[in-house]
Amino acid sequence: MIDVLLITLLITLFYMAIANRLMTYIKVLAIQGVLLFVVAFVQLEEINPLNLGFILLETIVVKAIVVPFFLVYILRKNNITREAEPFVSNFFSLIITTLIVVLTVLLSNTIQEAHLDKIFFIVAMSTLFFGLYLIATRRKIITHVMGYLVIENGIFVLSLAVGNEMPMLVNLGIMLDIFASVLILGIFLNKIGDVFKDVDVQQLNSLKDV
Amino acid sequence: MIPAFLAICFFVILTIPFVGVKYKGILVYLAIVVNAGLTGYLAIQALTGLPFETIFPGSTVTGAIALRLDALSAWFILIINFIFITGGFYGFFYMKAYQNQSKNLSLHGIAFLLLYSALISLTVIQNGMVFLIAWEIMALSAFVGVIFEHEKMATVKAGFNYLIQSHVSILFLMLGFMWAAYKTGSYDFQVLSNYTTGEKGAATVILFTTFFVGFAFKAGFVPFHTWLPYAHPAAPAHISGIMSGVMIKIGIFGILRMMLVIKPDFAIIGYIILVVSVISGLYGVMLAIVQHNLKRLLAYHSIENIGIIGMGIGLGSIGLGTGNLVLATLGFAAALLHVWNHALFKSLLFFTAGNVYQATHTLNIEQLGGLIKKMPQTAFLFLIAAIAISGLPPFNGFISEFILYSGLYHWLLDARLLSLVAIVFAILGLVMIGGLAMLCFTKAFGVVFLGNARQAFKHEVHEVSFQQLIPLYLIVFFIVAIGFFPGFFLKLLIEPVSLLAGNSGVAGIFEINTMQTMQQISWAAWGFIVLISVIFIVRKLVSRKRTIAVEPTWGCGYVKPTANMQYTASSFIRSYTKLFKPLLLSYKKEKNIQGIFPADGFFESHPYDKLEKWLIDTPIMEFKSFMSRFIFLQNGRLQFYILYGIIFIISIISIPIVYDMFIHLIGYFKQL
Amino acid sequence: MLSFILILIAGAFFTGIIIRTKSIASGRKGPGILQPINDVVRLFKKGAVYSRTTSFIFQMAPTIYFSSVVMAMMLIPFGQSKGLISFNGDFVFFAYVLALGKFFSIISAMDTGSSFEGMGASRESLYSLLAEPAFFILMGSFALLTGYTSFQEMFAALHLGSYISYAIAILATFVLVMIAMIENSRMPIDDPKTHLELTMIHEVMILDNSGFDLGLILSAGYLKFALYGAIIVNLFIGMVPYPYAIPLFFIIQFLLAIIIGLIESFIARFRMSHNPQFIFALTSVSLLIFFGVLLVLGKFI
Repeated sequence: MIDVLLITLLITLFYMAIANRLMTYIKVLAIQGVLLFVVAFVQLEEINPLNLGFILLETIVVKAIVVPFFLVYILRKNNITREAEPFVSNFFSLIITTLIVVLTVLLSNTIQEAHLDKIFFIVAMSTLFFGLYLIATRRKIITHVMGYLVIENGIFVLSLAVGNEMPMLVNLGIMLDIFASVLILGIFLNKIGDVFKDVDVQQLNSLKDV
Repeated sequence: MIPAFLAICFFVILTIPFVGVKYKGILVYLAIVVNAGLTGYLAIQALTGLPFETIFPGSTVTGAIALRLDALSAWFILIINFIFITGGFYGFFYMKAYQNQSKNLSLHGIAFLLLYSALISLTVIQNGMVFLIAWEIMALSAFVGVIFEHEKMATVKAGFNYLIQSHVSILFLMLGFMWAAYKTGSYDFQVLSNYTTGEKGAATVILFTTFFVGFAFKAGFVPFHTWLPYAHPAAPAHISGIMSGVMIKIGIFGILRMMLVIKPDFAIIGYIILVVSVISGLYGVMLAIVQHNLKRLLAYHSIENIGIIGMGIGLGSIGLGTGNLVLATLGFAAALLHVWNHALFKSLLFFTAGNVYQATHTLNIEQLGGLIKKMPQTAFLFLIAAIAISGLPPFNGFISEFILYSGLYHWLLDARLLSLVAIVFAILGLVMIGGLAMLCFTKAFGVVFLGNARQAFKHEVHEVSFQQLIPLYLIVFFIVAIGFFPGFFLKLLIEPVSLLAGNSGVAGIFEINTMQTMQQISWAAWGFIVLISVIFIVRKLVSRKRTIAVEPTWGCGYVKPTANMQYTASSFIRSYTKLFKPLLLSYKKEKNIQGIFPADGFFESHPYDKLEKWLIDTPIMEFKSFMSRFIFLQNGRLQFYILYGIIFIISIISIPIVYDMFIHLIGYFKQL
Repeated sequence: MLSFILILIAGAFFTGIIIRTKSIASGRKGPGILQPINDVVRLFKKGAVYSRTTSFIFQMAPTIYFSSVVMAMMLIPFGQSKGLISFNGDFVFFAYVLALGKFFSIISAMDTGSSFEGMGASRESLYSLLAEPAFFILMGSFALLTGYTSFQEMFAALHLGSYISYAIAILATFVLVMIAMIENSRMPIDDPKTHLELTMIHEVMILDNSGFDLGLILSAGYLKFALYGAIIVNLFIGMVPYPYAIPLFFIIQFLLAIIIGLIESFIARFRMSHNPQFIFALTSVSLLIFFGVLLVLGKFI
């Protein structure tokens, strides 16, 4: 069951690689939140109910509802154009994403750790690298934040793999990360969005010392 | 037999310059046919299990010269003979257009015969030194063959490009043989083989890699391929056909031979060859698609097919390394069969391209079109070859690719993770190569032969003479025969594959694994033809009573379409070039049309090779700009040049002395 | 033999059901289920118009295209019963024989010298080349899962047991449906009902075909749907005995036709420039299936 969900998570990555619009990204993030919710529900059966409730609340409320809505709100408020504007064509994004998955599979092969569930590792690593790739190749600041959120999801998957053994620690970290990201996002975008019409990373280049 | 072979060669080479123009071709051709008969007899004996061996005493420099004709040599000898017999016949008629250049033709005839003799001798010579000499003769005679139209600048340039790169290849081979001779004290392959059986690990892998690089230049593996797309279009059609059909295969032969001799760590070598081959295959076909010159397109396709052959060798080698005999058998069988298949359809393609060139005097496919009505036989031959090279059933290309697929899927069944990734990579590569080849040949065939003529020629365009087409039909006969009776031809492969796999169990594997499948494929191919004919006859019967009208092509209501409105080759591949833009390189010249009454606009694109730019052009440019700092040395005054000479001699003499003194001084200081 | 007949029957209805579904979804009554067959029969009776530009290629191509599909049908098994031809690696032959048909349909489009048909030919060749890897990887996954390399043995040995194998089957179905859509130039890639030549793929390639030839091309298209439907059916029936398998065959084909009809009703055609990435996504998904199979087999060390 978990394997199926995690493979679905990988498919959402492929979908994200070829998506054109920011709204699609947000939808995919929400879907990932729901997927993580179910994975957490199935996987973390051994930890105490309170903790489980907390994690589930975090995934379903924060990842699947609050953050997407907040992102939509920001999109609307700042009149950000709806195209994702990648540097690399979507076709090559897809090929690179596929390569990322294949390479993580190879990477997982080199790890000789009996406790680690390989599929969790593969999915987590692919998600993480894909998030980095997303940040590297998309033009807008808001897509950076989305890439960051994808990375968060990857780390969450990895923490789920060891969640039964040490639940609290990892989760606190994740919560903090999410709040921090949203907070930065809010301040950052509101401020920049008010001053400049176009929120383009390339404009940050003009800040460099010559 | 060998003295007879050599005597015929020498006699003919010496007499060619003195006979009349008409007889030069006949003489060369006769020599090749007789020699092909001699070597073919030995080769067939070797294929039935009777290898031939003779040792000449040689000289003190070379040591004993061993000639060994085993099953592997035999297979290549038969291919070389076949292509030279058909190619020579074709070339005899192709060259009639150049009757007035008597001296040039003599030189060409000599080069042709020398090329043949060198190729044959390369397959049997088992002495490093003599091998290199034969290799050099081959390279030089091919060079002379290429620059037949030496009044054209581009041809000479292409020839020199080829010459330089083949000498880089010789450099690597020389390194390899020198190292081997240093280690063993002999140039004989047998001695080397005995030596390497005891030696395992890095030494053999490095030695093999040196040879591999040397042979890869000849075979045209990426990134050693850059001479191919220049040399092939520049040469006359029969020379391009022969170069692509058999000369680059001698590189493959070398790799296989060295595999037998050196016996390196097969698994590692196999993986290296597999990866290089998949990349070669993909890169070759991807660049082939964007070419506008028909022969250049075919030249890039040779790189692709070398990739496919290499994949077979890689699989076979991995099979040997991992003890998977079935994989080894299938891999080597696919490689060897594809060597022949490629020789068949690629030479056919080059010959038909030669026909097109003779009829229209251009190879730029953007200027051609509608040739199927003027040259139906050439078009038909090209179509057969195009289907075969795309690896589609029921022709021969499919058979070898199918064996390769069987090998890959067989390997899949008991592979571990790392090799699984390699398999998926190879399967993906092979499938993409097939699909891209189809795109490329639908483009080439569609644009050159179909539709309307894109340009009116000042001269009459007509089919070439029937005699010139005879060898092409002979090739088609084999293309079709291999497709329909694969089992028979696979039987010929048992001996060479057993030799390569080093195991006599191969015959059994053939019997169990491949023959039944081939029988089925043969049935399927026949069934397919029967099906097509039945439907075609039904169609004929049904539509006999109906009214058949002939009208202009539907132009969506536009009534005055011109030939210029047809889809061109560039537009046919536009969506492809857009998609693969990051991997391709193309220089464009364009002028867009603007306004309501636009003036003339134009668009030109010149495809270029990205790897060539990175690996050849850029380093040369860097080197040039570095060397240009020393341009002041070349000031044109004789006195200075003599001075340089003096400085050079003095430094040569003094450097050892200075060095000794330096060492002495160091020693002196150490005493302190 | 059985599968051959079943596919013929299913092919007769398949397109009719798709069209019916589409008309019901858009609130019309729609033509009868057998209308496509009637169309073909009518075309068979008609005379033909050939373009002045064309050559013998144009006359041959529809026949070869149709034969290639029929030939591919012969390779498809049905449960335990083999196809008419069956050997190790027959799926390679399957894909390549279909590719031969496509080769001829492409050059026959080029034969007319029309720029529209050239456009269609160019797209067709690009898209079919991008779709092919998905099929081969998919078959590779099945070969790995079952240890066999022919259609019949693979499907017979395919057991659906655990969650993950269901997931693999569903994903495989998805990939196969999409390959079928691409091969037939249907909705997300191409719109058969469009009226603009510039946006067509398959339809524009056969603009100049008429009469018997057009009938052959259309019926080849119908059969192709049933062909891929039959492969999908084979994923699920395995060793089910015939009395259940045959109704199951028709039920699944019927469902498939309805699903395709619904897809066509509710999804818009992609922009041409978005097609390659979508098609290549199938390869990525089939790679995931491959890794899923590895998981099932526990090949991760």
